[in-house]
Amino acid sequence: MINNRRDFLKHSLMSAGLMASVNGSGLAVAPSKAPMRFIFMHRGNGLWPRVCVPPSLDPKTLEKENRKEPIDVDLDSHDLPEWMDPLSEHKENLTILQGLSGMMCTTGHHSWCSSMGVFKANERLGSIRWATVDFELAKLFPSPVNHIEMACFPDGGGNAKGTLDGIATGFSAYGPQKPNFAFGSPRIAMEELFKSVSTDMSAKTQYQLDRKVLEFVANNEGANAGPLYGFEKAKVKNYADSVEDIRDRNRKIDAMADVIRRHVPKLDKKYLDPNITTIDRQIGHTEVLLGALISGLTNVVAFTVDELGHRYTGFPGLEGMRLNMHDVGHNKVIGGLAAEEIRNRCRTHHMSLIDRIVKRLKSVPEGGGTMFDNTTIFYFPDGGETHHSRGSEYPFVVISGDNTRVDLRRRYVRLPNYGQAGHKTLGNWYTTLLNAYGNSIEHYGAIDNGLLKFGHDQKGPIEQFLV
Amino acid sequence: MSFRCKFLLLLLPLFFLMEIGLFAVPFTISDKVQGLMENYCFDCHDGDSKKGDIQLDNLEDLVLQDRLDLLNKVQEQVYIKEMPPRKKKVQPNKIERQQLLDWISIELRNHNASTLEEKLRYSNYGNYVDHERLFNGEVKEKPFTPARRWLINPRIFNERVMDVFRLDRSERARFAQRQDGVLAGVKNPFIIPERSGVRDYDVRMLNGGHLLVMITNAKWIAQRQIFSALLKTFQNQELIDDLNSTRTAGTPVKSISGLDRWYPKVTPDAFEKIVLKKGFPTEVEMGAAVQEQFDFVLRRKATEEELAKYVELLRSSISLAGNSEGLQQMLFAVLLESDFLYRLELGGGEIDDYGRRKLTPQEASFAISYALGDLSPDLELLKVAEEGRLETREDYRREVKRLLSDEKYFKGPVDPSLSSRHMRSHETSHPKIVRFFREFFGYPLAAKIFKDSERSDGYYKNPDRGTLGTPGFLINEADRLVDWYLKKDKNVFENLLTTEEFFVYHNKDNETGLKIIAEWNEFYKRLKDTDWKNNPEGVLAEHMEFIKTKPSLKRLVPGSNDKIQRRTFLRFMHFFSDTIGKGRTPFTTLATTHGYAYHHSTFYSLPPTPTLPRYASVESKNFKGNLPDADFWDYPVVQPFKISNRKGLLTHPAWLIAHSSNFHTDPIKRGRWIREKLLAGQVPDVPITVDAQVPEDPHKTLRERVQLVTRKAECSKCHVRMNPLGFPFESFDDFGRYRLNEPLEHEEHFVAKPNKVPARPWNIKGFPVYKTKNVSTKGELRGTGNPNLDGEVSDAFDLIDRLAKSERVRQSIIRHAFRFYMGRNEMLSDSQTLIDADRSYVQSGGSFKAVIISLLTSDSFIYRK
Repeated sequence: MINNRRDFLKHSLMSAGLMASVNGSGLAVAPSKAPMRFIFMHRGNGLWPRVCVPPSLDPKTLEKENRKEPIDVDLDSHDLPEWMDPLSEHKENLTILQGLSGMMCTTGHHSWCSSMGVFKANERLGSIRWATVDFELAKLFPSPVNHIEMACFPDGGGNAKGTLDGIATGFSAYGPQKPNFAFGSPRIAMEELFKSVSTDMSAKTQYQLDRKVLEFVANNEGANAGPLYGFEKAKVKNYADSVEDIRDRNRKIDAMADVIRRHVPKLDKKYLDPNITTIDRQIGHTEVLLGALISGLTNVVAFTVDELGHRYTGFPGLEGMRLNMHDVGHNKVIGGLAAEEIRNRCRTHHMSLIDRIVKRLKSVPEGGGTMFDNTTIFYFPDGGETHHSRGSEYPFVVISGDNTRVDLRRRYVRLPNYGQAGHKTLGNWYTTLLNAYGNSIEHYGAIDNGLLKFGHDQKGPIEQFLV
Repeated sequence: MSFRCKFLLLLLPLFFLMEIGLFAVPFTISDKVQGLMENYCFDCHDGDSKKGDIQLDNLEDLVLQDRLDLLNKVQEQVYIKEMPPRKKKVQPNKIERQQLLDWISIELRNHNASTLEEKLRYSNYGNYVDHERLFNGEVKEKPFTPARRWLINPRIFNERVMDVFRLDRSERARFAQRQDGVLAGVKNPFIIPERSGVRDYDVRMLNGGHLLVMITNAKWIAQRQIFSALLKTFQNQELIDDLNSTRTAGTPVKSISGLDRWYPKVTPDAFEKIVLKKGFPTEVEMGAAVQEQFDFVLRRKATEEELAKYVELLRSSISLAGNSEGLQQMLFAVLLESDFLYRLELGGGEIDDYGRRKLTPQEASFAISYALGDLSPDLELLKVAEEGRLETREDYRREVKRLLSDEKYFKGPVDPSLSSRHMRSHETSHPKIVRFFREFFGYPLAAKIFKDSERSDGYYKNPDRGTLGTPGFLINEADRLVDWYLKKDKNVFENLLTTEEFFVYHNKDNETGLKIIAEWNEFYKRLKDTDWKNNPEGVLAEHMEFIKTKPSLKRLVPGSNDKIQRRTFLRFMHFFSDTIGKGRTPFTTLATTHGYAYHHSTFYSLPPTPTLPRYASVESKNFKGNLPDADFWDYPVVQPFKISNRKGLLTHPAWLIAHSSNFHTDPIKRGRWIREKLLAGQVPDVPITVDAQVPEDPHKTLRERVQLVTRKAECSKCHVRMNPLGFPFESFDDFGRYRLNEPLEHEEHFVAKPNKVPARPWNIKGFPVYKTKNVSTKGELRGTGNPNLDGEVSDAFDLIDRLAKSERVRQSIIRHAFRFYMGRNEMLSDSQTLIDADRSYVQSGGSFKAVIISLLTSDSFIYRK
């Protein structure tokens, strides 16, 4: 019986001889060493730095907090902000990191790939300058599908394409001018990610058809390339080889069918309904990403838990309404609830999703511990410190397992403020992550031109976080 | 194990060792070549001298890989005539140089290891082809283009998708302004490289990334192709539900963008028959469906072999999943044919005496149409191709001329990605012709440069959500200028290089602008002496009948909200007081208009226009009615208009910003552009061992620091080709503003310190001010081949005047036009095509249309080999 991912890897090795043949895009992680996993959960409408401060800070530290001076205190001896209550069980895994700036990003209402790419992004493909940090990490820990992205798409501004439930341009990018595609609903994500083990007859047939057509295209293009020479041959053969690569990946997924089948999310019907509420959509997405992580389909997930342009439905206390988060940003009272309270409930719900992820991963054995030991979750705003943000601060809530290679757990950290010596940016933060996990890049992300006048070196990792 | 197997096993390690180069592989060198090497190379590169650490007299002793690497370096240096060095008195003659190159080429080809031949396909190596030989007429070889597949560009992709659905022009227009695709379910898989110069070359090829995107696209397209037919089946309601399921709970249908739910209202007959048929389709019906899809997607009939394969796929898919699903799979498979994404230019018909074949009429129709506008051929062009009237050079000429004079077929925005809610990309009859010049000059790259807005006193707005900011406006104005001179079609190159007239703001045509200003003048004259500040409602009511007669004042006509009307009136009056009241013409859009974003006049070194916050709170008790006077711009309504200290596109802020860095000017980049684009010269890539950095020194100008770091012999060898051409442009800062002095941007030179937190764009205070130092604009022009033009130059304007008179500059632009229209670098065999195009330009008085006609009727365009 296969009880965990490690067993699965052993099993699949013996039965299919899979590992010997994988390339960079395959299951490259050796069974003896579990991969690291990352979940980037970002939200719209800003995350106010003041709400991330432990309420039990002593007056002196609080004064420093108000002056935005550096702070580094042990979280163990402090209470968490109330909205983080769902994480109270995981306090030993928790970090609250404040003081990172992102002035080189697009901020304000919508930010597209900015907060994960550290560049000014907008709705134009040309604005995407390089792969976002989640994709860079996915390269370090390859998996059959490498990366998945789930999103509660905006239906107003932002990335809106009029398709809440479809597959559309997401908030991550896998290269310059290459936006990723994200699953808008748990239903579509289920259909696409777990189709190889679907029990639905029509999905099974579709799956067979897809395989058949790809085989046809591979043969067809291979034959087309046959009589050509040199550069012209490469133009067609390259394409034929790409079809073969996809078929190869599919074969690997097929070989994982048993373990995938075991971890297919068992979602109640309401999560698959086209008329799903936002709250259920977020829970459904969480279940799908858990299924994908635990089955080993991917090691990296980007999760747009909401975006300013997304109208919340099913919101606690305002169930019958379509909640306009822009109005909340402008502090309107809606349905008798103050904006501050709505923001509070919203964050609390997000924390409950993280709690769900952590608990589930802690229940899956891996190596000598659990799958969570090798997992890090980042919760952060896509646009910065407030509704009309300028990127002066990007608060991060980080929940990481025992095997994390970044040393900042169980702490409340505030880094030097913008313009002060030692100030750090999103670029420094992501450089830290990439350096820690094996990418020795000198600096990730664009430079903040506005910081130059202060004369501080703004490149490189945050040294004190490196183990 | 057989003897043969054992023998092969014994040999394997030997092959392995040879492969990794542990053994020196013997190579051959003739006495003749040995003699040439002794005469021209060993002086500096024998075992004693080893100049630049290069030794050439021991080639036979080197391991294979080292020898091939070295020969590749030698081949490139000899080919571009960098070696022997130009200063050496003894030089190989043409024949000797060729003998040396032939020998190296054979040695490298023996190991399939020539990097030069591969490089020469790419645009940045286009100038490696000898300029003199291209234009002196000595090459007699007949021009041709190698038979090829040319990957379609992003625009053609959009059009091809719409071709599949046979959308007419009005339907296409609906999607024309979309920036990253056409239909919501289709993502554009293609990008073309971002750099100055021609970018759409036939060297791009399909890869896995394209395929992944195309799989999603093809599924969506195939489903939409038969959607209307499916609606006629029993699945009808389910489909409609599915279509509407893109809504969130309780959302009214109209509140969601309709794009994702678009589908063609008619399914082609051959498909509909299969969808609606109760039983298994017949062989004929399946064949017809395959042919129909080939026609839609690949614009040709399937061959017998293809037909058999696809009918078999269709049959087996239908057996597995039924008629509709099976049919979709066949449609999907055809959409994944690589030929959907390539332009086929293989040629057909008889081979001529020179081994060439003409494009087939169908290929020619697409080649002509894509050359002129990225659209598939119009009906007339398809018709003449079908009727066999697209065979001769005269046929080509007739059709090219017809399409060039057609003002409607290709009409559209130059670059839809510039458009935003408050700015539309400039529209013209032939946007692709403008696109050649924007690629050539490279000014759209301004949108890729990010500035610290404070350094521009807050006026520079970086690209952000919904807008390309300041560079977007500047690029659009440069597009308009290019189009202006293209429409005149006289001395196009010279005018673009030397014009002193520009478009700035100009969001209304001259006639409309003059009318607005006349109305505003009349309005202000009538009301300026009334008590409008204290009694706006009364004054407004009193003059309402007059206001109603002026369309430009319609915002003052009472609407549902009188409060807003009062505020608008006050804003109008304050704005006019600041402008008309001070004897200046106002810009024809009010500064308080929603989304107003015109702040970039300062980058042409013109005065600013009033900003929104100046009039934001006209109703506030604290509002100071008598605003301090400001030196606002006296707006020239009739444009283009003369701007002092500007001359041509190389002094346009869009070009200057595009050829600067995020932080400062970039004389090296500017000089390199002139060397490569205007003088057809080459600058080798920066050696990978060089970490090129301009040193920091708070007491020196950028020019001084660049000179400091590039004057070393190993650096100056290349920099002498760039720096003297770029330095004259130091009279423009990295925002494109004209200057005599350069601020020393370091905190020890603060005259006024900036705010700690960056100031808002419209703030008056809080921006840094520094001490300055005079800029030097002296430079030197070498490489025109004309002693009257070459020499020291005093500034950018002197340099530009000389460049505009240069024959070599003209020919260099012609070479780039060739690359744009052929999608490849010129070869020596294209000599006659280039000479003809150059002659057409000169004889027509500088008509670019004449150049296009010449290129598109040349052997290089018509023949494949």
